[in-house]
Amino acid sequence: MSQEKKPLPTIPLTYAGSNCEGCPAHNAGQLLRLGVNMENWDFVIALAGNPNTGKSTVFNALTGLRQHTGNWPGKTVTRAEGGFSYGEHRYKIVDLPGTYSLLSTSLDEEVARDFILFGQPDVTLIVVDATRLERNLNLVLQVLQITDRAVVCLNLMDEAERHGLKVDERRLARDLGVPVVPTAARYRRGFDQLLAAIADVATGRTVCKPRHMKSESGTIRQAVERLTDKLHQLYPQLPNARWVALRLLDGDQRIATAVQNGELGELSRQTPDDVQTLHLEAVA
Amino acid sequence: MAPFVTTLILLGLLLVVGWPEVGLWARWQRVQHLTERVMQEDALKYIHKCEMKGETPNLEGVAGTLHIGRNETAVLLDKMQQSDLLQTKDGQMHLTPDGRKTALHIIRAHRLWEHHLAQETGYAETEWHGKADRREHELSPEDLSDLAARLGNPTHDPHGDPIPTAEGEVGQHGGRPLTEQPLDTSLQIVHLEDEPDTVYAQLVAEGLYPGMRLRLIENGTQRVRFWADGDEHMLAPIIASNISVSTAPAEAAHVHEDVRLLSGVGVGETAVVSQISPLCRGAERRRFMDLGILPGTVIKAEMRSPSGDPTAYRIRGAVIALRQEQSNLIYVKQA
Amino acid sequence: MTTLPLPNNQATTADDILKTAESLRWEVGRDFHERLMEDVYTEAAQLADRAVTYPQQKPRFDLDRTIDRIVTSRLWGFPMMILLFTLVFWITISGANVPSGWLATLLVDMGHPFLKGLADGIGLPWWLSGLLIDGIYLAAAWVTSVMLPPMAIFFPLFTLLEDFGYLPRVAFNLDNMFKKSGAHGKQALSMMMGFGCNAAGVVATRVIDSPRERLIAIITNNFALCNGRWPTQILIATLFIGSTVPAYLAGLVSALAVVSVALLGVMLSFAVSWGLSRTVLKGEVSTFSLELPPYRPPRVWQTIYTSMIDRTLFVLWRALVFAVPAGAVIWLVANVQIGGLSLAEYIINFLNPLGLLLGLNGVILLAYIVAIPANEIVIPTILMLTVLVTGSAGGSGAGVMFELDSNAETMALFTAGGWTLLTAVNLMLFSLIHNPCSTTIYTIYKETGSRKWTAVAALLPVAMGFLITFLVAHSGLF
Repeated sequence: MSQEKKPLPTIPLTYAGSNCEGCPAHNAGQLLRLGVNMENWDFVIALAGNPNTGKSTVFNALTGLRQHTGNWPGKTVTRAEGGFSYGEHRYKIVDLPGTYSLLSTSLDEEVARDFILFGQPDVTLIVVDATRLERNLNLVLQVLQITDRAVVCLNLMDEAERHGLKVDERRLARDLGVPVVPTAARYRRGFDQLLAAIADVATGRTVCKPRHMKSESGTIRQAVERLTDKLHQLYPQLPNARWVALRLLDGDQRIATAVQNGELGELSRQTPDDVQTLHLEAVA
Repeated sequence: MAPFVTTLILLGLLLVVGWPEVGLWARWQRVQHLTERVMQEDALKYIHKCEMKGETPNLEGVAGTLHIGRNETAVLLDKMQQSDLLQTKDGQMHLTPDGRKTALHIIRAHRLWEHHLAQETGYAETEWHGKADRREHELSPEDLSDLAARLGNPTHDPHGDPIPTAEGEVGQHGGRPLTEQPLDTSLQIVHLEDEPDTVYAQLVAEGLYPGMRLRLIENGTQRVRFWADGDEHMLAPIIASNISVSTAPAEAAHVHEDVRLLSGVGVGETAVVSQISPLCRGAERRRFMDLGILPGTVIKAEMRSPSGDPTAYRIRGAVIALRQEQSNLIYVKQA
Repeated sequence: MTTLPLPNNQATTADDILKTAESLRWEVGRDFHERLMEDVYTEAAQLADRAVTYPQQKPRFDLDRTIDRIVTSRLWGFPMMILLFTLVFWITISGANVPSGWLATLLVDMGHPFLKGLADGIGLPWWLSGLLIDGIYLAAAWVTSVMLPPMAIFFPLFTLLEDFGYLPRVAFNLDNMFKKSGAHGKQALSMMMGFGCNAAGVVATRVIDSPRERLIAIITNNFALCNGRWPTQILIATLFIGSTVPAYLAGLVSALAVVSVALLGVMLSFAVSWGLSRTVLKGEVSTFSLELPPYRPPRVWQTIYTSMIDRTLFVLWRALVFAVPAGAVIWLVANVQIGGLSLAEYIINFLNPLGLLLGLNGVILLAYIVAIPANEIVIPTILMLTVLVTGSAGGSGAGVMFELDSNAETMALFTAGGWTLLTAVNLMLFSLIHNPCSTTIYTIYKETGSRKWTAVAALLPVAMGFLITFLVAHSGLF
């Protein structure tokens, strides 16, 4: 997805540094919010998450845009895009519709699912509500079956603290196999680490080994294995053959079409297999 | 002047009536053809059904199904023989391969359309069959493959009937009539006959659905009683014979007794979901699952609206209000 | 199922995979999808369990539940709701008066003569300055001065309640009422938004996630008497209804008349919702769910900023876009003359029989046709057209919209135009029950993406308005 790198044009930008006086390291000082100016990006980030998790707040904080966020589930109806620059790279960020799941067939879920699968974002940033982790992990697990380049933004930590919840993000990161960064987007807390984690996954410094689900019953497992084998024969590089198999068994026509017309083959060729170093550091 | 105007009017009329394809004459012809085609297709469907049941189709049966006279039926069947949809062997009607293909296409159209109505529209269950009966004649095989693709290539219609594939393969529901079953064994409904309408409406009103588990209590000539989903049901034998069942899997045996509805859970109480009623279909069912309402989910009733309904439940950390009609579709057991 | 033979070359093809999948689907069973969901949730629950430590003992004070218990209690729930919304409307109405006056003085009373003077100064031809300044500028100025202040107050207040998390509780409290008419509790909120502006109300229906109920809310939003229609109601009620009773009761009675019209709107909204959900919308999918999110302290400044940008300016911009051509049309119909009569007079004469049949008149009907972009300019247009038709003194010339400072003068003009009590009552009814303004119609099209539903939303109220005014006119009451 990387575009040809061109020198950044000099345009007046909002400097975000002053908003983060309390941050431990002043890394977010490297954040340049580009608003809707997102030409010549190096990496594409997909922003996924349940409704009402502060997804739009994260989006606004990163891009400097002011998308309205009401205290309503599912407020973001249209897909919003924005840009920011961090370190040496420019990022385009796409705010996907807030969904509880990617398995059902509502329009919102299809938009989100298709972007993560076919849009091949360099990083999928999944915003989760730390106070309702179980409900939110449902979506995270589904995303991790599709892509292995993801960062979990454990948002609303302020609310979790208020309710006396403690979330062990290291443990979660180990279990999920992707970086997990606690944040409080409303107060811009945790953004240094979040940006660093995004950059690490985007550039390949962090390689994720996402958790894959195993808990299926006998008949399903056999069916899935049979299909996975066949898929691997046809598309040896396919990174998410198991997930594709499950979708086919569920009668998902969009995926069946992608198998048929070779769209899936395209996906497999672009998987970064040149990255050799396998490491995942506990983040934050 | 006057003759000129009259000529113009006549010419106009002629065009309106005689214009190919859109003229009135062409339209009338098409309507005639349509009704005859529809009758032929309905007749094929009936004969196919008889063959599946192992019964002998006859002229009276066809006439009764189509609501037309015997003479008319005879003419119709004769035409169908000429166009090689039917053949008569040893005085019995049989479907030719072409006839079977058409019959299966119509059945596929009917069942897919019912599935569509159940999954993608808000029509009531009792309206599905009638709507599908009309629509089945208007869909081409291409329409059907598009429809099937959009619906995720379903294998069964909402009554539990298998949907024939485009190649004309059709599975069996594999059930036996409820009235032939022994008492006190765990059974599972695999199919509800949706014809005639009045009988089906009664089955729906009883809250029965494919997949429902039940246990026969009484199987007499006067009445059939059985226990299902925490409730006792009673039907006349003639109606109960429209229910097909199979033996329920062992792990399901416990489902009968201590289940109740989520709507019965009082404010402040906690319960565990045992299942979403199969009566809940389509978008509504997917929404429930999205919200995390699945077997094993712990649900606590938090508060009730001051106007009495809906009730807010704590479900996997979120507070979600459900109306009573909805909480009636969720079976729970004691936490 | 028959098993399909493998292709001769032994290589796996896409078709082969799909065929295999198709046959395996008969084996995995019908509840496959549900088992999949169950698996994911089970695993999510395990992971969450490992990662989260809950507080040792339940906190004795749970703020969210405490607030919920109060705002949804049988005793306090409804009174609090009524109090809060009365307060919001009161702040809006009383707070908007002053800036509205300023804007009117600045844009209409001062801006218009100034621009006219300027145009004369540079020698602009009369028709061009008429079209541009009397037509286009005046319409835009009028819409801005009437529309902007109330919305700039109402929307931020509403948004604050929304951000705090109170509005979903309102929907929760009122859902039962809406359910009975086949609608969603959240329609209460889009309706309230509609009292500010129907276009904004239609946008607000986005929070309703059930297709059928959302369409109902969109189609019936027009029955919420919007900000642009209140001035019409108040003026006509004061002039005609208030004058039927002794002077000391006049204020009360005319206020009651206006409130009754607004309440009639709410009742029609329920009635039409009921009708729609049982007829044309029967086949649309319906799924109810209402999440009650945790309360969050609203960020006041950001809320004011975003609601100004997202709602107020957005709606104002759309209204202006439509008001500009309308201003031109209004000026043109009053000034283009054929055989000594203006276009407006021809149309009015043509519409008069229909208007009188409905207990209205041709002037009112024409005003509603040319002022379709914004209800705000209906009264100024009616006044201008009445002067044109009756040839009365007053006004600022053909095609120049105006309002009169004194009620007595306005009343005199209406009397000259042949208005009766019936005209007044039917105008109030028609102002409530007619097609949405073109801004709203456009918004409905944008939101539904369907011409069919846009047409229903636009035409149904006009048909109802015609029917109801006709019935009132021939009821023998007046």
